[in-house]
Amino acid sequence: MDYFERLEKETINLYKIAEEARSKGFDAELHTETPLAKDLAERVEGLVGPKRIAKRIKELEVDEDGNKTQREKVAFTIAAEIASQSPDDMSDDLKIEFNEDKSDINIKEFLAQKGLRAGLAILTEGVVAAPLEGIAGVKIKDNSDGTKYLAVYFAGPIRSAGGTAAALAVLLGDKIKEATGLSNYKPTEEEVERYVEEVELYESEVTNLQYSPKPEEVRLAAQNIPVEVTGEPTEKVEVSHRDLPRVETNSIRGGALLAMVEGVIQKSAKISKYTKTLELDGWQWVEGYSKDKDKKKSEEENSKTSKNKENGENNFNVAEIEVKKEQPKYIQDIIGGRPVLGHPSENGAFRLRYGRSRNTGLAAMGVHPATMELLQFLAIGTQLKIEYPGKGNCVVPVDSIEGPIVKLRNGDIIQLTSRKEAIKYRNQVVEIIFLGDMLVAYGEFLRNNQKLLPASWTEEWWIETILRSEIYQEEEKNDANNRIDINDLSKKLIKNEISAKESFEISKKYKVPLNPKYTYFFGDISVDDLNILINWILKNKGKYIEDNEFILEVSPEKRIFEILGVEHKVEDNKIIINNDNGYTLVNLFKKELSSEKSKFTDTIEAINSISDVKIMNKAPSYIGSRVGRPEKSKERLMKPAPHVLFPIDTKGGTRRFIDEAAKQREVRVEFSRKKCPECLTKTNNSLCPKCGAETFPGNPSKKNIGLTRKLLKAKENVDVRKSEEVKGVKGMISESKLPEPLEKGLLRAKNDVHTFKDGTIRHDSTNLPLTHFIPSEIGVTVEKLKKMDYEKDCYGKDIENENQIVELRVQDVVVSKDCGEFLVRVSKFIDDLLERFYKMDKFYNVKTKEDLIGHLIVGLAPHTSAGVLGRIVGYTDAHACYAHPYFHSAKRRNCDSDEDSVMLLLDSLINFSKSYLPSTRGGSMDAPLVLSSRIDPEEIDDESHNIDIMPKLPLEFFEKTYEELKPGEALDYIDNISKHLGSEKQYKDLMFSHHTSSIHAGPNTCLYLTLGSMKDKVDEQVRIGELIRAVDQRDVVEGVLSSHFLPDIMGNVRTFSKQKVRCTKCNEKYRRVPLSGKCKCGGNLTLTVSKGGVSKYLPIAEDLVSKYPIDPYLVQRLEIQKFGIGSLFESDKSKQSSLDVFL
Amino acid sequence: MLKNLDKMNELLIKLAENGINIGPESFKKIKTLKNPLEFVSTLIIKIKSQFKSKELVVIKDEIINSYLEEFKNSASENTAETIAKKEINKTEEINKNKETDENKEINKNKDENKELNEEINKPNRNQDGVEGKFNFEILIDTSKKSYTKGELVDFVSLFKSRFEKLSKILKKRSQLKVVKKISEIHAQDKQNDFSTIGMIKEIKKTKNGHIFMELEDETGVLNVLISKDDAELIKFSEKLVKDEVVGVLGKIGKNSKKDPKNGSKKESNKSNSLSIASEIIQPGVTRIDKKKMDFSVCFCSDIHIGSNTFVEESFVKFIDWINGDFENEEFKAIGMDIKYLIISGDIVDGIGIYPNQDKELKIKDITKQYDKAAELLSKIRTGVKIIIGPGNHDASRVAEPQPAVPKEYAKSLYELKNVEFVSNPALISLEGIKVLMYHGRGIDDMALGVKGMSMEENDKIMKELMNKRHLAPLYGERTPLAAELEDHLVIDDLPDIFHTGHVHINSYKNYNGIHMINSGTFQTQTEFQKTHNINPTVAVVPILHRGKFIEINFLSSQKKNRK
Repeated sequence: MDYFERLEKETINLYKIAEEARSKGFDAELHTETPLAKDLAERVEGLVGPKRIAKRIKELEVDEDGNKTQREKVAFTIAAEIASQSPDDMSDDLKIEFNEDKSDINIKEFLAQKGLRAGLAILTEGVVAAPLEGIAGVKIKDNSDGTKYLAVYFAGPIRSAGGTAAALAVLLGDKIKEATGLSNYKPTEEEVERYVEEVELYESEVTNLQYSPKPEEVRLAAQNIPVEVTGEPTEKVEVSHRDLPRVETNSIRGGALLAMVEGVIQKSAKISKYTKTLELDGWQWVEGYSKDKDKKKSEEENSKTSKNKENGENNFNVAEIEVKKEQPKYIQDIIGGRPVLGHPSENGAFRLRYGRSRNTGLAAMGVHPATMELLQFLAIGTQLKIEYPGKGNCVVPVDSIEGPIVKLRNGDIIQLTSRKEAIKYRNQVVEIIFLGDMLVAYGEFLRNNQKLLPASWTEEWWIETILRSEIYQEEEKNDANNRIDINDLSKKLIKNEISAKESFEISKKYKVPLNPKYTYFFGDISVDDLNILINWILKNKGKYIEDNEFILEVSPEKRIFEILGVEHKVEDNKIIINNDNGYTLVNLFKKELSSEKSKFTDTIEAINSISDVKIMNKAPSYIGSRVGRPEKSKERLMKPAPHVLFPIDTKGGTRRFIDEAAKQREVRVEFSRKKCPECLTKTNNSLCPKCGAETFPGNPSKKNIGLTRKLLKAKENVDVRKSEEVKGVKGMISESKLPEPLEKGLLRAKNDVHTFKDGTIRHDSTNLPLTHFIPSEIGVTVEKLKKMDYEKDCYGKDIENENQIVELRVQDVVVSKDCGEFLVRVSKFIDDLLERFYKMDKFYNVKTKEDLIGHLIVGLAPHTSAGVLGRIVGYTDAHACYAHPYFHSAKRRNCDSDEDSVMLLLDSLINFSKSYLPSTRGGSMDAPLVLSSRIDPEEIDDESHNIDIMPKLPLEFFEKTYEELKPGEALDYIDNISKHLGSEKQYKDLMFSHHTSSIHAGPNTCLYLTLGSMKDKVDEQVRIGELIRAVDQRDVVEGVLSSHFLPDIMGNVRTFSKQKVRCTKCNEKYRRVPLSGKCKCGGNLTLTVSKGGVSKYLPIAEDLVSKYPIDPYLVQRLEIQKFGIGSLFESDKSKQSSLDVFL
Repeated sequence: MLKNLDKMNELLIKLAENGINIGPESFKKIKTLKNPLEFVSTLIIKIKSQFKSKELVVIKDEIINSYLEEFKNSASENTAETIAKKEINKTEEINKNKETDENKEINKNKDENKELNEEINKPNRNQDGVEGKFNFEILIDTSKKSYTKGELVDFVSLFKSRFEKLSKILKKRSQLKVVKKISEIHAQDKQNDFSTIGMIKEIKKTKNGHIFMELEDETGVLNVLISKDDAELIKFSEKLVKDEVVGVLGKIGKNSKKDPKNGSKKESNKSNSLSIASEIIQPGVTRIDKKKMDFSVCFCSDIHIGSNTFVEESFVKFIDWINGDFENEEFKAIGMDIKYLIISGDIVDGIGIYPNQDKELKIKDITKQYDKAAELLSKIRTGVKIIIGPGNHDASRVAEPQPAVPKEYAKSLYELKNVEFVSNPALISLEGIKVLMYHGRGIDDMALGVKGMSMEENDKIMKELMNKRHLAPLYGERTPLAAELEDHLVIDDLPDIFHTGHVHINSYKNYNGIHMINSGTFQTQTEFQKTHNINPTVAVVPILHRGKFIEINFLSSQKKNRK
């Protein structure tokens, strides 16, 4: 059976079980509330409706000639069709929905809103919550000339759609306007100026927009956008253009501003393109923006060139200053406890290595496990903020790339090649000369449109040069016997078994550059250093005897060896170099450099002037980085964490114990019950427990919830005697305020699991990509694999043992071991629930997490409302969830430290209910409103289309990287997913170029998490910085002070002096302390910002200041803050003496 | 002569570890030194200070030679230096105490930027003594009177103090001679007119155009409605802000479960009755008698010395004018009549006040900024007394009231004999004329929070602050407040002059006999102001010339005289 069909069949089976459970009528609804969607069209229907729209979408997806229609065209047609239908032609479903809509909306507005939501859902792949939550509504309003126009009301969560989709939502509004025969919006001058003010106010009071438009730019948009872009107030901040008759709020409309600025204005080029293909009139004005931007750019360039001309010979300085100004973001904000691992492009930082391993791509990048173990701050899935190609990534272990080169206390220089070695030598390391490689897929450059940087000189490139050399090609025809065996050579390379002598011979024979293993980091030293080294070797070359160690006296030249990465030992004041390196040195440096040293522009050129084999630049591109967010793998808990969504007010104490509340005389709380239409019984159930009729919802009100009796009954019902630990909630935050059955809480507590706000049980972890796995590493047996329809390994051989490499199916996931243990508990809860509450058969019957392999889960990301179906195939030691890049992309995630949740499918189907979702804006985000059962790469985020799938990179690619091409210009040499969309190959044979022997060969926990106090973290950060050659330690210390500690201290002082107070008893908050000094409940008040919180970083900051010769500017800033804090917390009476000491 | 092989290697390794290569010749020379290790250490420090830490450095023999010379000479130099130091100490000890002297030495050693140091001349002219006689008095100054420990009780104490002080002022009004406490106001009362005094807890306009206010005293909270039908009262009430103290006259309505905010659950408290206001009374300002002034006062603030947008030429021109050097005879005479110069905050630009401020600073050292200020102010003739209060850019705490700038940062200014330091706010008396000096952060809150108020028309705001009798009534917004036991921001005593700055825009208004002056700035438009479209009044100095208000422009050659 086909993979997808099989998944679907199992899914449908679970739906049947869930439906049966629901049919008992114990839940909020009689049916499961997560509709199943096979594709985008069905997701759209499930998410926003209207019913039966999926069919129409599918019709539109293919044009008359059977070709695929552009997604945007489908969206716009659908929106127009829905909005412009005559109310009489409305489907019955729509009529029902309209009648159910309690707001005072007229039918035309209702249809326009429906159309807009459906159109936007299509544009956002039917996954994100923006079409539901980002659009607050649509209204038809009056222009002063009597014409009518369309107003689109945006809300904050429109952000989750992204700028382009937000802008397209405005265009959709225009399309609907056109289709329904409405006029353009004609803003008054005041309304226009209100936008201008609002944008400025938003930026100064709320947060920066991605693009800061000039007032004229806002004016241009406000005057010309043919629909009114307005919305709900999102911030407390009020404008001075008040009480405009057509604008309902005086507060900032965040959603509308996002749609206008980050949408229409920022994406003006795209909008211009879309309006043309979609044939929307009256949008010519948006071209004004791109012209403006071009003008700005060319002006800047002009001024640059003219400046250069004026300065004449000082060109170099000008360039340098400009480069300095634009420091990469990652190094600008240095945070306490998150070490900098390399300054921008600094020698000795991570070396850029092109390629993809089976666990990289989609913003995950490979680092040698020895590097991870050495630094301890890099665990599997730890985020790094990086210099390029993007802003951040997640690190994963790849052991086929270079490890770090370190200097030990005894003077030895060694390269660490395994975790074991890293652990062994870690405490002896005095300097990290080189951090090792970072494996970056070409796709990362493509995704970020970052121009390509020169490739490092690596084994895979060397092999390509041999294969493609003229001599090798000729030999193929004439002299095949004498020809080098490339496979053999590759194997030897991996095992490090090629001698220097052999390497020189190969180079000479095939006229190719020297083996990377014997090519040192010449780019890191100056021509002068090279000259010194050459002379030293020439002087000492007599000491080298072939096949012996090369022994030299310790001398200052040793430092050059260190930087070059020439491994050596120091014993009895002698430098001992092994035979291979000795051979290389003596054979490279056969003569002195020409006396005109200055003629060389770089060291590589200089060395090639004397070497008889070509020497390549081993490390032309270094990547600066710092540690970002640590990895995560944790159960999702609300605060405080409830077992059941059952309200008990404050009667259960601060920990919300149901048992405690049940001992109270009465628990008065706001909730609702359902009502039986037949016998008028009030119940929480969807079927009347007395007469069996279907109940209908009632209105929430405050009354005694009858807890004592209910608890007793529930305990009896599911045969649970213990209820001491069961926790409820203070109140319901949903609109219906319908409580969950108490039985669920009893059983959750019994199995030690907690519920989330929507009734489901979640586990969160960092997202990591995986395209291939080795059965033994993820703990799955061949037998089990076969049961899951895995038959062949990735080379097409039958799976026979647990060490073959197998390509991962696109919806299969490898979750963390603790997630596995957790899901076992969830499965036991579900079994208990089925057996004791619904009186059905158990389903899972699992004992260990291995038993859960093959079971279905739902992946769901924050800001989205569509779950993606997945299947567990195994477990990883890492604190992360490894899954196919498609799976992550389907949730609209990538792998630069995004995290999201998994839940057991059956839990989600039985226990999720919309009736529990918060009634506030954004409440339906992060809820499984629809379940996507099948991943079609064409219908998911196109980030995943950039995944490289080649087993090796071609020679041309390596060579082209030296031309500073835009990534798109090298696409010809690359094979990636975008080239196979729609074909069979989109699901299989997605290969990788670099092997890794284990996807969890590295520390599981970032040191940041195990170190306790901030002081320990900072100490360790400073220590690591001192070790790494590529880090300027003083800069790091200054950075921590100026971008973390000082702003934190200043901010805390400010908030301390403006703080709210809180009641210790009822938690009521007061903007200002009441004059009575007490809470209205009589409880004691307490400060919300404590003194300790204000000054917590002061001692660490002072410590740093005392230890490092840092900028006096920062020292003084800290002193002034200290004075201010002292003045706030110490009475002048008591501090007279102590302050004098400081002053 | 170093013969021990181990030690030699130690030298080499030490150099190598630090990435320094030296030639064999130099090495030989170093070996001949008495204490080669010490030299190598000095060498490493010197060399590394010039290069990036991880750079590999190769040192030529000539350079080593020069360092060697230096090293050999340094021993004798050191002794010479200490002798000189001792001598200085001796002489100076006679005049000043030892402690400050030592500080000075430390500061001297710390100085890295010699050029800058030379540029800032030591103040000279008016250190010796002060000409003329001043009848000057500091009436209220909060420096070194901060008794808060930053605890909840201190916050309670602060607002109680505010309430009591302002209640006292309000109770002088005839309508408020007899007031009820909020807990005493009951709907059941037959006599349902009431008058009370309270602090505004919340105030907002409802959808229907009414204003809804929660009024609080130590006994409870009263819901007050200002009906939209009472247009005059609505207009008046639009200027009210949270946390100010007012008297309210009105009628008490029936118990109402839902308040007009559409029934938010929090307000459905039984005890809260809804009342309708008929009159709201602010503490306000009674007209004060005009006092005779037979001298002139100059008002400055926001000079922002140290910023790269500080207009030094204009400030120097301004000082020249005070000293009698001015082309216009009429103004020259006024300049010579100046007896007091008031500077209400932000005399310097400060450091680290906002992110990346260092990029907009000419002087990146707070002490040097004050030194520069001292250098400039020292040129003012000693017949002028200078009174300086802190602003948000000064080296003080951010929370108001701000203590005076500590001596540690502004030592050179403290050394000027005719300079006085006060807190922000402060009340001073100049020959019997009372001046309330306040930097003006409270203006921000008003400009942002009150309809119809703006930074540009800050005279309106100053008037409103006087009416509220509080310098920064709105708690929790822009102005951080220290939880002092007494609210020093209450305007207890009405001044003859109310001086503020902070917004960089000049304004003047005489309100009920009080001169209200905002004194602009000596800083041209900053990047921040550019993006916020704020046009500062630069180098236009307000002066009270024997009771008459004038302004003189020092930015360009034109002179403006405005009444």
